Amino acid sequence: MIELRHVFKRYHGGADVLTDINFTIEDGEMVFLTGPSGAGKSTLLKLIALIERPTRGQISVNGRDLAKLSRRRIPAFRREIGVVFQDNKLLNDRTLFDNVALPLIVRGVTGDELRRRVHAALDKVGLLARARNHPLTLSGGEQQRVGIARAITNRPPLLIADEPTGNLDAALSDEVIDLFSDFHAHGTTVLIATHEKRHIERLRKRVITLRKDHSLEAA
Amino acid sequence: MSGYLSRHAQVLLATLGDMLREPVASALAIAVIGITLALPAGLFTALANVQRLSTGWQRSAAFSVYLHRQTPAPRQIATAIGRLPGVKSVAYVSPAAGLALFRRLSGFGPALATLHSNPLPPVVLVTPRRETPSALAQLTHALQRVPGVASVQSDLHWLERLQAGLALGRRLALLLTALLGLAVLLILGNTIRVAVMNRATEIEVIQLVGGTDRFIRRPFLYAGALQGILGALAAFVIVEIAVLILDGPVRHLADLYGSPYRLQGLGLHGLLWLVLGGGALGWTGSRLAVARELRRRRLA
Repeated sequence: MIELRHVFKRYHGGADVLTDINFTIEDGEMVFLTGPSGAGKSTLLKLIALIERPTRGQISVNGRDLAKLSRRRIPAFRREIGVVFQDNKLLNDRTLFDNVALPLIVRGVTGDELRRRVHAALDKVGLLARARNHPLTLSGGEQQRVGIARAITNRPPLLIADEPTGNLDAALSDEVIDLFSDFHAHGTTVLIATHEKRHIERLRKRVITLRKDHSLEAA
Repeated sequence: MSGYLSRHAQVLLATLGDMLREPVASALAIAVIGITLALPAGLFTALANVQRLSTGWQRSAAFSVYLHRQTPAPRQIATAIGRLPGVKSVAYVSPAAGLALFRRLSGFGPALATLHSNPLPPVVLVTPRRETPSALAQLTHALQRVPGVASVQSDLHWLERLQAGLALGRRLALLLTALLGLAVLLILGNTIRVAVMNRATEIEVIQLVGGTDRFIRRPFLYAGALQGILGALAAFVIVEIAVLILDGPVRHLADLYGSPYRLQGLGLHGLLWLVLGGGALGWTGSRLAVARELRRRRLA
């Protein structure tokens, strides 16, 4: 599903963020990406979701070589990936329903199907009753779950999450990770960046570790 | 297809809603566009009115042929002129009729009464068959050679000058239209640019969940076209009000000249052109502005 070959990333005028990253994630795998802050976890996820481009190296996701993807094909590519952002990226002037519906609306889904799928996603994260509320009336954990609902409405084959438990207490944090585990059980490939060792020990999934020097630790 | 249409209708409604949420800003933007478009529209209206004035004149005689005052048989000369090739019709004005007309129109009645004899020559008013410059020159020449003719005066020289002036006016109006059209394009582009910046987060999220540039662009294009069209309607109202304000004095002036001439506004035709132009300018302006912003905000 995901394959990185000799990937380097350096931001304009900055130091290296990633150096010579190589790994493969198979279809249907669930993998934790871990490492100290500043090791480049977020950047690595952004490269896979094609929010950033690598300085060097080859990345292939879902059978596509990202370097060869034309600009016009990028939207279609992003629809195949559900991304949960560290800062949620919710639209605070829209209801939960509208936030979760956005990935479907940009694909032209309307009417009953739209309603059904948005409700299903909100139900999955336990927020269906609050569909008409706005994000700012929710707690941090609830907002995080809205972000997850939005990432799954499209039923993408790949789910990527950047510190989805960042500001949650232990119980909520476990709940969120279990949610991802559930999607994984249903066949979705899941890649989660986290620095919480607890989840890694609890779930016993494969771990990819980025070191402080931005290179990959041998598994 | 119906899904496509309903989606567009939704975007249009949402755009209207956005504008109504910021009524003052929207009204100001529309007013600026309206005033900018009103200038060329007003100029074209003025030109059309002058044009109408001159075509009204063209229907009357084009030559005044003055005969020698001592000519024994002026009516026969008038008849002879009427038989010349290129002459459509003639009207004979005797010295007595001319004096009566002059007395009535000039207001010099009492002064004229002191004259011992009629100083006016007999005049033949000639309407040419064709009004091309060469035909008129030929006719002038022919008229001058008719025995008994003292001088030939063409009203058409004056009309030609007016036509040349009008052509210049039209060219100036086109130039002004181009410049002010560009101004509208820039004004709208800037308004839309600000709108794009205000919705930066939304655009980023749409891009992240796989929205196409076309999807992102759509509401802004509607907003631009809508503002352009509303601006055009404002311009129409401005021009019509100006015509209404000027109508009274023009009517009075025309009455003094005994003319039924009345000012005309833009009319349905003009309104259609204005709305089409405004809409197209709005669409283009926002298209350019959004394209630039999207290039700047492109992820990856």
